[in-house]
Amino acid sequence: MKTFVWRRAAAVSRKEVLHILRDPYTLGAALALPVFMVIMFGVAIEFNVKNVALTVCDSDQTQSSRRLLDSFGSSQYFLLHGVPSPYEAVKEVSAERARAALIIPPRFEKDLFDGRGAEVQMLVDGSDNSTVGPVLSYVSSIQTIASRRIADYDPPAPYDLRTRFLFNPELNSRWFVIPGLTVVVMSILSILLTALTIAREWENGSMELLLSTPVEPLEIIVGKLAPYGALGIIAVAFVYVIARTVFGIPFVGNLAVFGLGCLLFLMTYLAQGLLISVVTRKQTIAMQLAMMSGMLPSNLLSGFIFPIESMPKFFQYFTMILPARWFMTIARDTFLVGSSFFELSGSFLALSIFCVLMILIATRRFKRDLEP
Amino acid sequence: MNRTLIGFIRKELTQTLRDKRMRILLFVMPVIQLTLFGVAISNEVKNIRLAAVFDSRDTVLRDVYERSIAGKWFIPAKSRAHDAYTMIEAGDADAVLVPPPGGFTRALGRGDAHLQLLVNATNVLQAQSVEGYLQNIIQQTVKDDMKLTPPDFPIQINTRVLFNPDLETSVFMVPGVMAMIMIISTMVMANIAIVREKEMGTFEMLISAPVSRSEVIYGKTIPYVLLGMSNLPLILAVAVFVFQVPMRGSLLLLLSAALAFVCTTVAVGTLISTYCQNQQQATLAGFLFIFPMIMFSGMMFPLENMPVVLQWISYFDPLAHFLGLLRNIMLKGGETTYVATHIAVLAALAVATVVASFRRFHTTLE
Repeated sequence: MKTFVWRRAAAVSRKEVLHILRDPYTLGAALALPVFMVIMFGVAIEFNVKNVALTVCDSDQTQSSRRLLDSFGSSQYFLLHGVPSPYEAVKEVSAERARAALIIPPRFEKDLFDGRGAEVQMLVDGSDNSTVGPVLSYVSSIQTIASRRIADYDPPAPYDLRTRFLFNPELNSRWFVIPGLTVVVMSILSILLTALTIAREWENGSMELLLSTPVEPLEIIVGKLAPYGALGIIAVAFVYVIARTVFGIPFVGNLAVFGLGCLLFLMTYLAQGLLISVVTRKQTIAMQLAMMSGMLPSNLLSGFIFPIESMPKFFQYFTMILPARWFMTIARDTFLVGSSFFELSGSFLALSIFCVLMILIATRRFKRDLEP
Repeated sequence: MNRTLIGFIRKELTQTLRDKRMRILLFVMPVIQLTLFGVAISNEVKNIRLAAVFDSRDTVLRDVYERSIAGKWFIPAKSRAHDAYTMIEAGDADAVLVPPPGGFTRALGRGDAHLQLLVNATNVLQAQSVEGYLQNIIQQTVKDDMKLTPPDFPIQINTRVLFNPDLETSVFMVPGVMAMIMIISTMVMANIAIVREKEMGTFEMLISAPVSRSEVIYGKTIPYVLLGMSNLPLILAVAVFVFQVPMRGSLLLLLSAALAFVCTTVAVGTLISTYCQNQQQATLAGFLFIFPMIMFSGMMFPLENMPVVLQWISYFDPLAHFLGLLRNIMLKGGETTYVATHIAVLAALAVATVVASFRRFHTTLE
């Protein structure tokens, strides 16, 4: 009696597919979300900061001070606007009209030609993390350029450092962000959608109805999850195609390895979604829990933007229990590095363990909750 | 306020807070989240696995390597491979220094030292920082070891970082995480609350009851404004006492900024709810809004670099205004015109969305 019958699972699946198709709004949102996100991220994100608003107070007003301003202005890093006093320059920064202030003292040119060394002051807004780092590094390169241009100071360099950026030679921000987006997109769709749909069945009692039919619990699970799995795969395929065609992101690895990673990750998160729905049985709570256990970690703690290596030791270990972290490695390395299955075996092993574990816990919990 | 409205608000609050799990999600989770993400995430790059290929006579490169490891940014890479490229490809090292043939020290003596640095650039931000850090370390080491002291630059740029001189990451990140937590708990909750009634059919009952349209809307939104505001003291306390984020501006300004923000997000949630029939749709639609909001807020990605059209979008992003306000009030003490402008913009956004949802409510009820 306890045999798994594919036909019954397929029937459950068919109902779920009809359910999804009948609601074009949800389907549209589920498919539009990945497309929308990839295009937005692809167009909007650029970590190489340019056009930083810089307010300038030039109290010297000489040829040298103007050439210094030229060096800042022609670097493309800064957009300059002048103010009459240092006090107002600081005020521009605190009113968010400028991210940095450059203050040139009245004796700038005189000090420079006296050979005493001329000093200018640069005040950088420390409240905005996305600009402060780059601005600090630009300043030192402008110092070199300005010293050469204005004071003809050009000592021979004792050595030269040649940096080769492997796997992303032009440091293109898109190459970095978009492969990681596959993880974020899948985590939203799989965990959230399953948690919500199944929680709804509990909420309005149709799950109990389903149980009184001869369908086995495992058949229900497989039947319910399969369509959402397919939806997740379609979404990733969208991301992949847009990434390759619209943004020209390379994919040097093996597509099968990436696909296997996708499947494992998807199954893990579907099972997690199922578990959430069984535990909560209420859509409002299921949604919040899905967000906290799936979405936020896969956005913030998976290494998507914020590097794992920089976290405190405890969190570096903590991220190991997040499937998203392992899949992030697989996604990035297959896209850009071209790692083989063998090189990624650690990540695959971890992902498989979570996958099996999550499916076991979810089905267990599901079955137990069914028995009276 | 009339009695119907008060009853309405009371019912909504009771319903939300009745569930113990919901109480935990609403009041305990934000604190945990803020602590967690405040501690864990940062833009600073640390613990980069560095390898250098050098023999015993190459003293300068050895010093460079040892200095790097001694600092807080680099840790030694463990690798069986000897080839620099393979080390990085296999994922054993993030950066490898390769000297010219014969060693870096001897090349320096000859005067044509080309030191090669290979960096794994899959993480763009990390790669940039690695190059910057190493440039400084190498420059310093070469200067010390070779007794080369080039004269100082004739132009000295004396740089000072205002408002966050030690570049504490938590000072950057915590206001952003605060804003993010508040948007989730207000916008999504308000949205779901209305859609749930539609889904269960109780909404029709509400329409037939002797309450006016505005009472329904206010009764459904005010409770979530209250809930969102009740989150603020909690997360503010964590920010100030746990993370030592300075609170330089006035608390009253911060409260009014938060109120304007919460009103806007609840109103947006209400507006979205008028387009949705069930909770699944409502949640997905919520995300379609939250993601761009986070993106255009300037919390993770610099706004200056976006195409101008997209920068315009950020003017309509309540999160961008609120994040700006939080940072300005907490870190800079609140500059009057800036704070006033942005609170006004938030209020205008709130009014606009409330008007829009009034219209939508009207049509859906017909």
